[in-house]
Amino acid sequence: MVGKTIKKYWPIFLLPTAAAFCIGFLWPFLWGIYLSFCQFTTVNKVNFVGFSNYAKILADSTFSHAFWLTVLFAVLSSILINVIAFLIALALTKGIRGTNTFRTVFFMPNLIGGIVLGYIWQTLLNGILMSMGQPLLALSAKNGFWGMIILLCWQQIGYMMIIYIAGLSNVPGDLIEAAMVDGANRLQTLFRIKIPMIMSSVTICTFLTLTNGFKMFDQNLSLTGGDPKKATQLLALNIYDTFYARSGPQWKGIGQAKAVVFFLIVVIIALAQLRVTSSREVQQ
Amino acid sequence: MKKAISVLISAAMAISMLAGTAATVSADEAAGQVYYLNFKPEADEAWQNLAKAYTEETGVPVSVVTAASGEYETTLMSEMGKSDAPTLFQVNGPVGLANWKDYCYDLAGSEIAGNLTSDAFELKDGDAVAGIAYVIESYGIIVNKALLEKAGYTLEDITGFDALKEIADDIQARKDEIGVDGAFTCAGMDGSSDWRFKTHLANLPIYYEYQADGIDNTDAIKGSFLDNYKAMFDLYITDSTCDGAELSAKTMDDSRAEFVDGKAVFYQNGSWEYSSLSETYSDDELAMIPIYFGVDDENQGLCTGTENYWCVNNSASEEDIQATLDFINWCVTSETGTTALANDMGFVIPFTTAQESPNLFVKQDGEYTAAGKTPVSWNFTTMPSEEWKNGVGSALTAYAAGTGEWDEVVSAFVDGWAAEAALAA
Amino acid sequence: MKKKTAFLTVFFTFLSIVWIYPIVTILLNSLKDTKSITTKDVFNLPTSATFAGLSNYVESVTGMSFLKSFFFSLLISVTSVLLILLCCSMAAWYVVRVNSTIAKIFYYLCIFSMVVPFQMVMFTLATTADRLKLNTPYNICVIYLGFGAGLAVFMFTGFVKSIPLEIEEAAMIDGCSPLQTYFNVLIPILKPTIISTAILETMWVWNDYLLPTLVLDIKKYRTIPMAIQYFRGSYGTVNMGAMMASIMIDIIPIIIMYLVCQRYIIEGVIAGAVKG
Repeated sequence: MVGKTIKKYWPIFLLPTAAAFCIGFLWPFLWGIYLSFCQFTTVNKVNFVGFSNYAKILADSTFSHAFWLTVLFAVLSSILINVIAFLIALALTKGIRGTNTFRTVFFMPNLIGGIVLGYIWQTLLNGILMSMGQPLLALSAKNGFWGMIILLCWQQIGYMMIIYIAGLSNVPGDLIEAAMVDGANRLQTLFRIKIPMIMSSVTICTFLTLTNGFKMFDQNLSLTGGDPKKATQLLALNIYDTFYARSGPQWKGIGQAKAVVFFLIVVIIALAQLRVTSSREVQQ
Repeated sequence: MKKAISVLISAAMAISMLAGTAATVSADEAAGQVYYLNFKPEADEAWQNLAKAYTEETGVPVSVVTAASGEYETTLMSEMGKSDAPTLFQVNGPVGLANWKDYCYDLAGSEIAGNLTSDAFELKDGDAVAGIAYVIESYGIIVNKALLEKAGYTLEDITGFDALKEIADDIQARKDEIGVDGAFTCAGMDGSSDWRFKTHLANLPIYYEYQADGIDNTDAIKGSFLDNYKAMFDLYITDSTCDGAELSAKTMDDSRAEFVDGKAVFYQNGSWEYSSLSETYSDDELAMIPIYFGVDDENQGLCTGTENYWCVNNSASEEDIQATLDFINWCVTSETGTTALANDMGFVIPFTTAQESPNLFVKQDGEYTAAGKTPVSWNFTTMPSEEWKNGVGSALTAYAAGTGEWDEVVSAFVDGWAAEAALAA
Repeated sequence: MKKKTAFLTVFFTFLSIVWIYPIVTILLNSLKDTKSITTKDVFNLPTSATFAGLSNYVESVTGMSFLKSFFFSLLISVTSVLLILLCCSMAAWYVVRVNSTIAKIFYYLCIFSMVVPFQMVMFTLATTADRLKLNTPYNICVIYLGFGAGLAVFMFTGFVKSIPLEIEEAAMIDGCSPLQTYFNVLIPILKPTIISTAILETMWVWNDYLLPTLVLDIKKYRTIPMAIQYFRGSYGTVNMGAMMASIMIDIIPIIIMYLVCQRYIIEGVIAGAVKG
């Protein structure tokens, strides 16, 4: 009955969102796919060139470097963030004094935007590196890379910690007590009960951190800008750079084609997530 | 009642959405307007004022946007895609023109082209005049004469590279006694300052190679004079106010501040710095000397040329193109315009109507030329791409910090040139 | 056991100090005069010689029209988030209750859009927005509604599905029109989700850099992240003092908002995660 009544109200309920969605996403998306097969500088002068943009990506060493760097970055940051966030969550569910304050502090960096984060850490890390006599961020690919890892950890550990805390507090207390009575030690309750019970949180956090790592742009732009010599350039920045920083008629098409490849990679990760999530739902 | 209110809200919402999407074409478009994407950050304020003055005088709206340093190409690229694209933009010379020539209005026969002092300041694309140089600049090593004298030298002592090195080394050794932090200001390699070395200093080896080979452009640079480049850069980073490892974070501000505070004697930069330096120093305290390169020091003058060509966007509307042509012509002919260009921006403009600039460094360039020295032309306009400059800049930064070898600079210079030239072809 | 929790408290106190140290450093540097903010002296506390009081803040606020940027950022965030909340909750209700083919297609497209990275559409979106003149802070919210619809619709549908149909039916039998039902019945029930979504979207819009940079008419408008990025490269110089002050001006409102509505923010994160 409700459905039938509101169905004819679609111009009010559905249309505004749908129209904006077409403008803000659907049309640009489809157009973007088309343009990845074209050569263009502005949309007024577009030539269809087929797959040649994609062929040129293969020859672009900066793209493959950015790709592998991004994979390494996403995996490494994801592991670090999740392990640390989980450990903090575990400690903060033990009822220690000051839990609320700690939680507040750890979560705070998450609210700060990427550009600002990048500059905060650039100032700080360069200062530390200088006093250690190490090459600054813009000079050393290794330092730049670890700088980005530290930055992302600082930003996201709090967020993941909150999710783990929520997961952990849903583990029934009597279950743990029962296990303790049966003679299980702490480690056993952790690995046999707590972790299996919060596997859904683990999956969510893993994929959130993975996709965040893959899509990272603002922090990369402001912290290292890809220096030195694009050695710390992640995929998203590489695409932006190809698109806007290179002049020449061929680059925009290549940039758009790179973006399509990037999109496909992210879709694959998302599908993997769907698969893992749904397979576990069946088991339970 | 409630029903009426909710219907009203929804209707208002729907309307605002539609109003938002429907094009809101502004009324002032008919008269034509000017949108100038300015390349020179140091002249931003002066341009804003000049634009305001023009609007007050003629009623034609002029917006000036200055791209952040090092981001001109990025900004131009994204702005040109917009429907309200810049009507007036800049290219740096033949290489820059290659990317934008499809968007350049042919200025042949325009009033402003007629006012040029020489055809040489036209940037040609075939027969069409795609761009017009609007400022001639010089750069070299700016010297704090008072400090130099305090160290026991005069300008006349600096006759060439060897003499410069000797004096700089001596000043560096006695820096505490003289009261400076170093002979040269820090060679900052931050994005706001690295162009002084990856572009301007790099011009010299290119210039001498072109001279030696009798060419004015190439797809494959040989790097014959890179040893001189190294010697000069070594001088900058050893006789410096700071350690090489710090350079990557040093900005233009840091470097200028050191010079202004009298913490260094030498400072590589150009005539565009005059307006900010003249706030602190009188003309007697300053001088600009050539960047002696150890090749032909006796005859070498300042590096003088231009990388600033105005181009008018041919995809703008008729009215906007006309408004833009009127605006630039007004800038270089009217009393207000020429005064602002000469005094506020310190420019020497290659137009018959130009006013004499009070810029000391510009005057010195004239003196050097009058004394029979040959100005070094600006060949960095033939550098194959921004990408190439960035490659050289990164290698220089790493070399200065000790994390990279000089070979990498050579490789970025020579191999990078070939690779980028091949891409552009 | 007690000893151990005491140890943990000490440990976490230490860790918390480390955690907020970066922000404190920026705060301290923002009080120094520009010349003393160099890489070498980042960790030096302001001394009487280098203390600049609030002059950096004054400079940051007066120079480069930073206040305007602040206003634009605020305007864009408020309008975009309100529009997203209103339109997307309506759309979600429609999608769940009507459940027609079109509604389903729309729903799956929304989910799909959450996966697509922004770089995929940045150029075409900027061009589209430009053609439709959606390039001012006053109407860029339409773009945000379009690009942000995915997450919001997804979160709202998840919640609407759990609302028993009977409540709405009862309201309609009582003579409520669909709009009345929506405003009087649905919105109150949806309140927690509205708050969660509002927080997630505000965090996104306030901090967003690339979308406004490409879409907004840069002749007239800059948001705070754009202004801070611009501070870095403009005028061939970097005014570190003003930049530090701008960073503080950007994050202070966020921190205040966070401390005030911390509970909702944390609930919002959890709700978002459970659904996502």
